[in-house]
Amino acid sequence: MTAISYTPPRRRPRWTKRVGLGIQASAALLATLLFIAPIFWMISTALKTGNQAFSATPSIFFTPTFENFAHVFTGSAFGSALMTSTFTASVSTILALILGAGIAYPLARRPGAVQQQVAFWILSLRILPPIVVIIPLFLLLRSVGLTGSLWSLIILYTYMNLPLTVWLLRGFFADLPVEIEEAAYVDGASRLRTFFGITLPLALPGVISTALLAFIFAWNEFLFANVLTGASTRTAPVSLTEYVNPVSVEWNNIMAAGTLVVLPVWIFALAVQRYLVRGMTMGAVK
Amino acid sequence: MSASTMIDRHNDKTLPVKRRKIGRFGWLLPMIPGMAFLIAISVYPTIYSLNASFYRWNLAATARRSLVGLRNYELLLSDPSFWHSVGVTLTYVFIVVALELAIGLGVALLFFRRFPGDHFLRALLILPMVVAPVVVGLLWRYMLNAQFGVVNYLAELVGFERVDFLGSTALALPTLILIDVWQWTPFTFLIMLAALQGMPEDIIEAARIDGARSVRIFFDHILPMIRYPIAVALVLRLLDAFRVYDVIFMTTRGGPIDVTQTLSWQIYDVGFKSFDIGYAAAYSWLMLILVVMVATVVLKVMFRKTDFA
Repeated sequence: MTAISYTPPRRRPRWTKRVGLGIQASAALLATLLFIAPIFWMISTALKTGNQAFSATPSIFFTPTFENFAHVFTGSAFGSALMTSTFTASVSTILALILGAGIAYPLARRPGAVQQQVAFWILSLRILPPIVVIIPLFLLLRSVGLTGSLWSLIILYTYMNLPLTVWLLRGFFADLPVEIEEAAYVDGASRLRTFFGITLPLALPGVISTALLAFIFAWNEFLFANVLTGASTRTAPVSLTEYVNPVSVEWNNIMAAGTLVVLPVWIFALAVQRYLVRGMTMGAVK
Repeated sequence: MSASTMIDRHNDKTLPVKRRKIGRFGWLLPMIPGMAFLIAISVYPTIYSLNASFYRWNLAATARRSLVGLRNYELLLSDPSFWHSVGVTLTYVFIVVALELAIGLGVALLFFRRFPGDHFLRALLILPMVVAPVVVGLLWRYMLNAQFGVVNYLAELVGFERVDFLGSTALALPTLILIDVWQWTPFTFLIMLAALQGMPEDIIEAARIDGARSVRIFFDHILPMIRYPIAVALVLRLLDAFRVYDVIFMTTRGGPIDVTQTLSWQIYDVGFKSFDIGYAAAYSWLMLILVVMVATVVLKVMFRKTDFA
């Protein structure tokens, strides 16, 4: 055995490091608390009575009540709006996944200059502010009698999410070593069978994350929904506006309804935490 | 057979390795439905609205639509309220993006070195950015209320007077900016943190051993290394900030007077309240040109050619 002589680099003493980390962690905690304080306030207001919500001296300690949640579910159209949102967001997510995978897989497996151009064209569709396209789309959908129908929203949400699913799925497919697929071809599997039997299951974590992100965007969308839905087809975000009227603004009910809108999305976001950055940057940052 | 052809088997088109009758362009087949859908829904509105912008066309007016050429654009460019909206939008966009990048990076630096519970805090920090913007607008409207809002309550405790943040001509726009910063800084934070944690540590370690001070290390080593993620965050936030609409719908609705009349809001107003389709279409095109111009400049400045490799 040879002895390895090693002189450690000059370092600060350990205790200053400890104190430094303590200060850093406290600052991080403080920053986090600042950012989630409004969320705490929303949830706590949702558990207050009307009087408490309108009090000039807000209370932090109070006996929580679930009456607001019961009220928004039964006393209004909000419950059905939640169902509408679930349906619209789910169907459009599935469509965006299917159409997106169809584009993404060839782009991932046959890289080339033209393919790159196509990918960037799809990405560039995201530059268009929705307000710029909403009027022509509104007139188009009206002329084919789809305004007020959920299908108009499903079509637009599929369109809105397609660039996302294409870019994310392309990345996830490209991450898989091509050799696995080739092995399947050699064994006599068809392309379709290879895709559904090998590629898709292997890329499943990525596909699910993509789906959840697409769902979140469709679920939160407001502009299209506000313009295109009728009284019976309101989505949850549009339905929220009903609690705001010149006569009264029922803040405790609004906050309860708001909490219900946000809750599923939080669960999804926490589930895809690992891919959240990748998803929201269209795969630009991993 | 030589070894090289054995290795190359799958890419060699002369060898019939299980290429079943799908032909040369068969791999394009699965792309057709999606591409057709994208082209149909993106090309149609573009052409439609370009065409509409050359007409005087109001759905609410009795007069039939008539071709007026570039008149809508002329009217717009000489309309002070258009330039006002451009000013409001650019102010909003640039301040929002600058603050979000700076604060996001600052908070990311706080999370750079691991500490117990950092994953939990990071998970909490994600929450604001997935709250539906409509809910964000309502929540802040409630918290900022002059009579029973908690922000005014706290402000009063420390000696300020109660103010109607969203109803004041001086404060409405800064308030909207702060709301956006609250919602989207977590997003820039996540990007920055991912970038910081992806850096090769030995470079910083080497600089530290050389005796470089933290500030120097940050500007000389860390910042250049995370230039690309910063640029991505910048461009994404920029494009997104231009389309601010939901929160304004729920809070100020362009007011008080016109201090929060962003381009998005104006187009909505012209299109869906005055039903002036021709004018709204011209408005849309000018907005699109502005967005593309700003985005192009930013891309040129921030990215090098090699970044797209």
